[in-house]
Amino acid sequence: MEQQAFLERAMEQYGKATYNFAYRLTRNEADARDLTQEAFIRVYKAWKSFKPGTSFLSWIYRIVTNLHRDELRRRKGRYLEEIPEAGEPQEYGGGRPLAVAPIEEYVEGHLSEPVSKALAGLSSEQREIVLLADIEGCSYQEIGQIVGCSVGTVRSRLHRARGQLRKLVTRYMKSST
Amino acid sequence: MIESHPTIEELVDYAHGELSAPDDAAVHAHLAECSSCADAHTEEVALTQLLRAHAGAEEREMPVAVAAGVREAITRRPAFGWERLQAALRPALVLPVAAALAVALYFGFNTWRGTGRSTPIDAAYYIDSHAAMAANASFGQEAPAPLTLTSDTTPDETH
Repeated sequence: MEQQAFLERAMEQYGKATYNFAYRLTRNEADARDLTQEAFIRVYKAWKSFKPGTSFLSWIYRIVTNLHRDELRRRKGRYLEEIPEAGEPQEYGGGRPLAVAPIEEYVEGHLSEPVSKALAGLSSEQREIVLLADIEGCSYQEIGQIVGCSVGTVRSRLHRARGQLRKLVTRYMKSST
Repeated sequence: MIESHPTIEELVDYAHGELSAPDDAAVHAHLAECSSCADAHTEEVALTQLLRAHAGAEEREMPVAVAAGVREAITRRPAFGWERLQAALRPALVLPVAAALAVALYFGFNTWRGTGRSTPIDAAYYIDSHAAMAANASFGQEAPAPLTLTSDTTPDETH
């Protein structure tokens, strides 16, 4: 049961990262759960195609990104958004992290909503690039491999997305004060 | 090589460590001397920090139900090869398929027999048969008229 062991190890080590990436992409817990589940089923089925020594995260992010795009196409771009109302606590599927850094507390208290809204204001394609570049810390080359485009395209999409994000964050921060 | 003020795009690439080594060194040197570019760079870095902090604050564990769902899905699906063949040969599936195949074979065979081949009786049989009938007729009886095999039809027969 080498295949089963591979899956269990992948879920244990990368389940959290994969789920959070899926959640940031979809902005929706139910979709993130479905996306993560389907991604690990794909991992199980295609486990022999994973090349040892390469980045498992890049591989599974690529699977998640493709599944998300397929789903968007299937639903014709109508994803349900679960942006909480002001002051309403978010529902969490799992436990919260035990240790929260001070800046995270500050962001959660003051900036979470504007940033959340600004990210939701990006197109799905732009959000993919920003998440991978700024949150996951992937190189442009890795991003190109994950989303299936050239480094030049990654660069131009990231610049456009960040320009859009700057405007949106500023606008939502002003409107929240 | 960057000789003037770096563009916002170059600052973003610099913040992401994506400039070539000479350009990276040039921007680095420029930022040390130019306060407006240094401010713009700080803003770019702050945006990335804001996104990371937001992501960190939002971070959560993968729900237990996800792993359970994956395990359930993979045990429900037959794996490959023999197991898949066994699953395909379940009685519930095989019986209707076999019945449909038998019906198709039966009707297909009969259809083939009915249309594909003609009865192997040639015209010589009729000629010989009728010649024998004429020869065997008793003297008091009139011999049957000689048989003429023709496909022609007279106008009277059609009206």
